Amino acid sequence: MSAPLRRLRETPRHLLVCERSHVRHERSRHAARVRGHAYNCRVSFLIPECGVLPEPLKSVTTDMGEYYLVKNLPLHELVAQEFISAFVKTGSCYALSYNTRIDQDNTAALLPTDCHSPLKHIGKLILSVDKDTYEELGLQGRPSRYSGKKIMRYIITIDLTDSAFHSDSKKYKRVLWALRDKKPLEFDFLLSWHHTGADGSTLMSYFSKHQIQAHQPKITFSTLRNLQCPVLCSNELQGKPEESCSAQELFEWLGAVFSNVELDNKSFSFVSTYCCPEPSTMMDQAYLCTITGFILPEKIIQLLDQLCAYFDDPKLAQWVTLTVHGFADSPVSWRENEHGFQKGGENLYNFVVFRSLDYWLQMAVGANDDCPP
Amino acid sequence: MAEGGAGEPPPPPRAPLERLVLKNAAEHHYLRVSLEFPDGGVRLNAAHFKQLVVSALKELHGEVGAALPVDVLTYDEKTLSAILRVSSSGFVKLWSALTLLGSYQNRKCAFRVVQTSPFLLALSGNSRELVLD
Repeated sequence: MSAPLRRLRETPRHLLVCERSHVRHERSRHAARVRGHAYNCRVSFLIPECGVLPEPLKSVTTDMGEYYLVKNLPLHELVAQEFISAFVKTGSCYALSYNTRIDQDNTAALLPTDCHSPLKHIGKLILSVDKDTYEELGLQGRPSRYSGKKIMRYIITIDLTDSAFHSDSKKYKRVLWALRDKKPLEFDFLLSWHHTGADGSTLMSYFSKHQIQAHQPKITFSTLRNLQCPVLCSNELQGKPEESCSAQELFEWLGAVFSNVELDNKSFSFVSTYCCPEPSTMMDQAYLCTITGFILPEKIIQLLDQLCAYFDDPKLAQWVTLTVHGFADSPVSWRENEHGFQKGGENLYNFVVFRSLDYWLQMAVGANDDCPP
Repeated sequence: MAEGGAGEPPPPPRAPLERLVLKNAAEHHYLRVSLEFPDGGVRLNAAHFKQLVVSALKELHGEVGAALPVDVLTYDEKTLSAILRVSSSGFVKLWSALTLLGSYQNRKCAFRVVQTSPFLLALSGNSRELVLD
């Protein structure tokens, strides 16, 4: 086949990582995976054979935490010593610029201090800026990994909790000068702060001089009737013909369920030939809940714990799933791995928790992303 | 949790029990599209919509293109929007054919490709559609 024709058949790079482990296994890293994925815009869970949510699960679902939208916030406010000592050093402070597209605009994000690894993952401000802004700013950065031969995008990382980043240091003064005087940047920010024992509304009063709105995550519930579900076997990640479906098949099926795709098409149907993967079983009902907003990993861990606790009492369901979608325009996906938007900017993961508390974890990224951890 | 940072020795192995990395393994690609008529007022059912997609493929890529298996997974008659599934090797062909389609029954029209992904699941959560206020 000639080269141009072959190129016509190629698709952008994409990765799907599937893991299998047990929630109680000492080497299980499910919590680290959740914690490492800082910016999440949608969380959904599906429980087969469930009509009413148990109370603990319901209360976690309805308490996914308030988040804030601050309009036109000058970026230097996030490097102010007052802000750093009040929020960044004392809890997990998350910020992500809102309505900025990483393939064309400047984007900023504040990664929280991770109390579980105090030395490695510390309050960092990450800027993904175009070439012109980078040159005007005059801060040290590195070329984006996904900007091609002619570098048009740069990544600047500012370590806010570095000991050399105090109000008298040269470094601090330089950063403040760059962001306040040299090239003032403003963004609308999504903000959230997690700190045990404290109320997030402290953020609201801190930024009261700016236009700030509080938002609650939007929650939708639905009960799906007569749902055809694939049969899964926790030990068989790749599935077994005639016995169980693979993780990949489940991933597609879940997408079909979330998008309300017909699952019982005939193979000769003109419009669509998609069907539920085989083997499958018919379920009377399934409970689907979707939460949309700026959702913190800490809350997702609580939700995951409650989903595991769902199996404390005997249940009809063999497994439950928890799906988390990341922001397509965040400058990082997992941890500090650079993220970009080529065709879709997808960065998402999905847990399948089995009755035995074995779990599958699927992590998917698109073309401009590192391999998930 | 021990996570590897730059310039540090790799953390001790804390591997999961089993890990599979599937690179470019998606059999299908998915597109969320909507059809626009500048004059409006055109009604199409799912079968006609599919027929339009096939004719777009035929126009640009000939009989080979028309034979490409495309599924209309969902279709909304009111908004003329749909989710399409195509085998990964036909993704570029389908996208190009949709882009270059200009008319339906002598009326001007255009396909807008709203979102694409190798993962159907990704189409159910688009952060660019997160509208606050």
